Formats: sequence, structure tokens, C-alpha cells
Amino acid sequence: MALAELRLLAGEEALLNALPSTEAGQAAKAHLAAAGLPNRRVEAFKWTDVRAALADGIPEADGSAGLIPACLQDALVLDFAAEGFGLEGEKDQGLIIETEDSLELEGGGPLATLAAGFAPRAVVLRVTQSQSRPVVLRRHPGAPMRVRLELEAGSRLTLIDTGLATAGLSTGLLEIDIAEDAELVRYSLQNGGTGAIDLTHTAVTVADRGRYHAIALMFGGKLARAETQVVLAGEGASCLIHGAYLLSGSTHADMTTKVVHAGPNGQTRELFKGAVQDRARGVFQGKILVERAAQKTDARQNHHALMLSEGAEIDAKPELEIYADDVQCAHGNTIGALDDQALFYMRQRGIPEAQAKALLVEAFVTDVFDAIEHEGVRDWFSGLARSWLEASSS
Amino acid sequence: MLNINNLQVEVGGTPIIKGLTLQVPAGEVHAIMGPNGAGKSTLSYALTGRDGYEVVGGTATLNGEDLLALAPEERAAKGLFLSFQYPLEIPGVPTLTFLRTALNAQRKARGEGEISVPDFMKLSRDVAKRLGVTPEMMKRPLNVGFSGGEKKRMEIYQMALLDPRFMILDETDSGLDIDALKVVSEGVNALRGPDKGMLVITHYQRLLDHIKPDRVHVLAGGRIVDSGGPELALALEADGYDRYKDAA
Repeated sequence: MALAELRLLAGEEALLNALPSTEAGQAAKAHLAAAGLPNRRVEAFKWTDVRAALADGIPEADGSAGLIPACLQDALVLDFAAEGFGLEGEKDQGLIIETEDSLELEGGGPLATLAAGFAPRAVVLRVTQSQSRPVVLRRHPGAPMRVRLELEAGSRLTLIDTGLATAGLSTGLLEIDIAEDAELVRYSLQNGGTGAIDLTHTAVTVADRGRYHAIALMFGGKLARAETQVVLAGEGASCLIHGAYLLSGSTHADMTTKVVHAGPNGQTRELFKGAVQDRARGVFQGKILVERAAQKTDARQNHHALMLSEGAEIDAKPELEIYADDVQCAHGNTIGALDDQALFYMRQRGIPEAQAKALLVEAFVTDVFDAIEHEGVRDWFSGLARSWLEASSS
Repeated sequence: MLNINNLQVEVGGTPIIKGLTLQVPAGEVHAIMGPNGAGKSTLSYALTGRDGYEVVGGTATLNGEDLLALAPEERAAKGLFLSFQYPLEIPGVPTLTFLRTALNAQRKARGEGEISVPDFMKLSRDVAKRLGVTPEMMKRPLNVGFSGGEKKRMEIYQMALLDPRFMILDETDSGLDIDALKVVSEGVNALRGPDKGMLVITHYQRLLDHIKPDRVHVLAGGRIVDSGGPELALALEADGYDRYKDAA
């Protein structure tokens, strides 16, 4: 499309005006002016139309950043608010925190460009030795976040990131570099109200024997999309990406992942489970790309979802692209309804229908959380899932 | 106790039960025998309220209360229990969680308080010991990976734990070897009582050697076509169901 033909919607104009005059802000403006916001005509966004969601402008931010649960009281909390960036708690040795005003952005796509553009600066975390206390990245309603995280060789960090706005546009960009033998364990929670637009992009590079281990729980919002791109660059690098989405009302959640196996002997484990009811919409797009050099890759991807109501929608696009010849790759994708027979069996034993459904859905999604090593976080996530089931079945 | 009068049931618009009348008084065990396709399982599903089994006529009451107007879980809370011919596997739900949820849901529906965890554990262990249900089986997700015999034993275990007033046993003997049949039958016989009733649905007489019925009914073509004492089952074993072809 020629530039002259592009007519920006009111929402896009509003975004243009809202972007700061930083270098990244200008880059985002230029991109937006040239291409507009990603919309359903763009293949990667065909089920998640950002332009339509923002057509009427940026919703006013509302809600809170959420409380830190008791199981994470010892954590170092980094707050990303509209007013700026703040730090709460003690910082241990081996963790360096700096800010960077003009950090270059390489690739990442439109959401990364947008998130970089909105962030006044990048917060850079360097992990030089393993951290026993977790780090929490708390995104406030309507606030941008940009974090660059570098794990030096052999180091280990547990990271929790949350975005719990009731309304507003929240953006996040997380660039992660995992060096040799280093490991990042990450737990993400997104829960948005019907006015919340939550767009995040995570780009991870993993060196030799490094490990990226991420479990996400999403309840959606007006529009929520969490993009993850992992490049297993080194030999024997691995990633585990688990995600659960539980959607009701008219919420929308999108989990889009791309894992590139660039080095040999790498391993990928993906497990995504979703349950969608009312008129909510869940989107899963998962691509695994195995480059020619990535011999002996062992990659598995699974996405299974339940439609709990007639009006619910689940869109799934699993993709495997393989250029190496000595690899093991498998993927499975199912979308179905709850088993009527199991439901009747449970009701015959006296369990009311709503409770029986909740038990079955909980049993269905729970293996996503089995990979959570932090007991407190596992209980926290399971508890949130159970509350959702109880609320949605009553 | 159980009172069925002129019951008519359709499945997918096809009449299967065509005017069935049957009374099981408290304290009695009645057997229903019949050829394949006679409507035996349809009767058990219609009584317990499964979707797709549409009652188009007649009545069914338990202790004078209309069963047909109730949801399946409400019928269960009234004390109606079905031991399934093919028990379902419920992946991800531990057996004990399932049973405690079921027991408490029934108690709640009856206006009783929840059973405490220690009381429940004691109850579940006591019952398990009687029925040869191992702690290993109780820890697994319900029926997942169980053999056919284990599943049937688990049905009777659930029945003993939930202590229903009226029990329907649908082909409980299928898939059981002779030793398992003995264990299961002993478990069932222990649940007989003056204020309880039982309907034992079976294709073969073999089960009735172990669970002695007070009355035997022959179901063919959607109706009860013959009734008698335990000797009727023996006659059926010898002669088969051929003579009821015309009656149906």
C-alpha cells in the first residue's frame, strides 16, 4: 500500500500523538504512520485485530497493579507505572540494575516496536551470579515496560511478571539474553478487565546449554496478546513454554510463540491449554522452526482447548518448519467440548453440574502448572484458576 | 420404594421403553433380565436422568417422590445410585477428591453438614478394606488405568461409601472373573437392608447365584413380559429368551 493511501483511524492518530519524542518513540511513530496498527489483514494478526481494538482511541487506564502474594514477599519488585519506574525491596549481590535511554531494537515486529516506542527508557538487569530471591516485574495499568535482562554464564534467576489492568493500554517488551549454562525461570500472569488492552513481546536468545523455562496464565482482556520468540542459538539449549488461558465474557487472549532451533541438540517443550466460554476468544499460534544446523533437535508442541459455550471461539495455528534431517519433532492440537459422559457420571454421583464442569476443567488445565517449580507460585496460579472456575460456573 | 408406572422412553425419537410397570418394595432385590437391545440400559439411564433419554410418558417415584422432575444430581442426593456398565475414566481428578466432593455435595443437598477430612479418610479406608480396594487405587485419578474388574470394584466401593437407598446395578458382572465376582457380590450383599432396594440388571443368570433376588423380571421389547421368583432366572438360563419374542 502506498503511504499516501494509508488513512489512520482515530485510535491510530491518538497513539501517534501519545508516543514520546524519544528515538524509539520516533521509530514507532514512523512505523505506525507507514503501516498502521496490526490488523486482521496481516497474517500474524488475523485473529487479534489491534487496530479494531484501538479504533476509538486509547482506553483510560484503570485498576491497580495488584498485590504481591505472600509467597513472593522476599522478592525484589520492579514497578512500571505511568509516572515511571520504581524499585521495592532489597537487591542482592550479583544483580545489577541500570536504565538505558536509547537502546537499539532489532526486529521483533510491530508489538515490539510499539512497546519500545512507549517506554521512556529501558531497564537493564544484569545477573552476574545466581539469585535466590525472585524478581517481580509489575506492570501498572496504562503503563509501558521495557526490560533487557542478561543472565551471565551459569547464573540462575526466577522472574515473575504481572499485568492486571482493568482498563487502559499496557505494553511490554522484554529482551532476554541467556548465556552458557544459565537459566531463567519465568512465571507470567495477565488478568485484564474488559477495557484492558495488553500487548507484550518477549524475545529470548539462549546460548549453549542455557535454559528458558516459562509458564504463563492469561485471563485475557478487551484484547491481550503475549508474543514470545525464542532463539535456541547455542548447542544443547532448551526451552519449556507452558501456557493456560481461561476466558469468559467477551475477553480475548492470544498466545503467540515462535521457537527457532539454530543450534544442535536443542530441546523444546510446549504445552498450552485453554478453556473458553461465553463469547470469549482464545488464540494460539505456535511455530517451531528447526534450521539446518539444528541436528538432533527434540521439539514437542501441544495445544489443547475446551469450548465451554456455543458462542466461544478458539483459533489455533500450530506450525512446524524443519530444515534439519535428524530431528524429533511432534505436535498435537485438539479443540473439543467437555465429555458429556463424564459429566453425567459425576452428576449421577451427586456432584452438581456446575461443580462437575469446574472439576473437569481444572483437571484439564492443571498439568500446565505442574512445571511450576516454585511451590508458592504453583499454589497461587492454581488458586486463581480455581477461583475463575468457581466464578464462571456459578 | 421404587414405583415405575407405564414408563415410556425414547432415544433420538425412537421408542425403547414402551410402557414399563414395576414395583420394588423396600428391603427387596429385583433382577431384570432380558436379551440384548431389550432396553435394560435405557431403563437405568432414564431413571437416573441422563440427557438424551427422553421420558415421554408414565411416572417413576422413589419413596413417593417424583424422580423424573429432578436433575441427575438431585436424584443422587435422594439416594439413587447407578453402578455403570462401563464406568467412566476421569483423568486429572484423584479418586478420593472425587468421592469426597460427591459425598459432600449429596450431604449439602440433603441439608447435612460436610464430613470432616479425618472422618472421611477413616470411612474411605474402612470401606476400601472390605472391598479389596488398595490405597494405590484411591490415589490414582478415578478409574484411569484400571482394569475392567478394578473399575467394577470401584463402582461398588463408591456405592458403599455414598450409602444410597436405592441401587441400580447395570451389568455389574460383565468383565469380572469368578474371584472378582465373589468380592463384588459380597460387597453388594452387605449393602442390602430393610430400608433399601436394589435393581440388578443382567444378561446372565451367573450373577444371581451370588446376589440372590427376591423377584426376577424379564424385559423384552421395552416391556416387562414375565415376572417370577428366582426360579425364573434358572429357566431363562436353560431355555433362553426365544419364547418372549412374540410377547415383545
